[in-house]
Amino acid sequence: MLPRLKRFADVLVGARDEGMGLLSRALERMLAEQHRYQRGTALDVWAFGEIYGHWLHELGGRADPLAQAKIDDVLFGALFQSEDEGYFDAPVIAFLGGLPPQQRLTLLLVYGEGFEHEDAARVLDVSTDTITTRLVRISAALADRLNNRQPAPAAAIVESLYPEGLSP
Amino acid sequence: MTELSDELLVAYVDGQLARKQTRAVEKVLDQDDILAARVEALKHAHARLEAAFEAVLAGEEAEVSAASATAQEGLVIPWGVARTAFAGLGLVAALALAVAGYGWPLSLPNLLQTAPKAAGWQEETVRAQALLSRDSLEVGLESQANYDLVAFQLAHILGAGLKFPNLDAQGFRFKRAQVLRYGDAPLVQILYLGSKGGPLALYAKRGEGSETLMPGRYGAINTVAWAEDGVSYLLAGDVEDALLMRTATRIKLEPAPPLPTASKPYTPVNDALNQSR
Repeated sequence: MLPRLKRFADVLVGARDEGMGLLSRALERMLAEQHRYQRGTALDVWAFGEIYGHWLHELGGRADPLAQAKIDDVLFGALFQSEDEGYFDAPVIAFLGGLPPQQRLTLLLVYGEGFEHEDAARVLDVSTDTITTRLVRISAALADRLNNRQPAPAAAIVESLYPEGLSP
Repeated sequence: MTELSDELLVAYVDGQLARKQTRAVEKVLDQDDILAARVEALKHAHARLEAAFEAVLAGEEAEVSAASATAQEGLVIPWGVARTAFAGLGLVAALALAVAGYGWPLSLPNLLQTAPKAAGWQEETVRAQALLSRDSLEVGLESQANYDLVAFQLAHILGAGLKFPNLDAQGFRFKRAQVLRYGDAPLVQILYLGSKGGPLALYAKRGEGSETLMPGRYGAINTVAWAEDGVSYLLAGDVEDALLMRTATRIKLEPAPPLPTASKPYTPVNDALNQSR
């Protein structure tokens, strides 16, 4: 589980060293406040939420939170470099690097961790609808980017096909 | 061309639609190449996202393996890890190790893995194997029926005033005991069985720690851990947590026995020495 926590912290802050620092501080806090963990809660959901909450807490104390949330493209790209396979998907990485941290984490939780939207919402302390909306917007934008297409105009909505809770 | 929104198509690609809605979308896709291409583009985008995140995780796992290889030699289960395996709040032990700067512990990520990669039976078995030592087999089965002899043997092996509680009053009968190991240090396991359910085990090894009874849980196994008089204890079993805590309290309140000494075999000299005391 620890590599998964580290990946979460890395993707959040956009750099390996900073991710390690955030994770260490968040772990210290978790240890100090372990009583807040409720038995029955999935450990990973709890831990991801704690890391995210700690990052928000630290960000709130900064003079310019928006500037602090920006990432270095080179350091962010280094997260994805694999020595063995040489796999490096530059367009996807550049796209991810251009997203706000919360949107990157939404993608990580749902497509990287395979979380249900409800669990992703719990980690990021937002509604399930927010997660769904983010996924739609980001997925469509990425698909457009990868196909060299201009972002599509809003399409007509077939209301009858909407599942409960997915209606805008 | 039928127009379906990206919102609906993403929900379809992510498997968020009900079966009836999925069939309806598929029917439309069968007849509309443009929408089908859009769905393929969304699937392709998601697949590349998954691959990218997988690459980050591979890097982190490689880092953990490298750190663990230097931190741990051989396949020995640390007491902390063994304890973690039985402790409900196992995360705390993992976090403590990480924060303390001992490197990323090799076994903990698997112990704590929740969904994607469950440890296989081989891995779990090797962990159990690592707890066995020569002493595990050298405490003969014929001695197991002799409660006092087992207590004597275990206390001597442990080299400390080991509590060897009689839990008949709690509904658990002593069945057998053996000596496992943590590295080169002995780890005593005393097994009891109630009228139903799995075994109750009291583990003990030399060591310091909090005297407070600390409840925990690992899967279906409830645990209580504490330390006293230079011995660290762990009571573990598929037992209701309140009963386990009462039993642990009962053990803790029991005074620790002095380290037993073996009675010397009868010889005229020993007999004379005993009589002169």
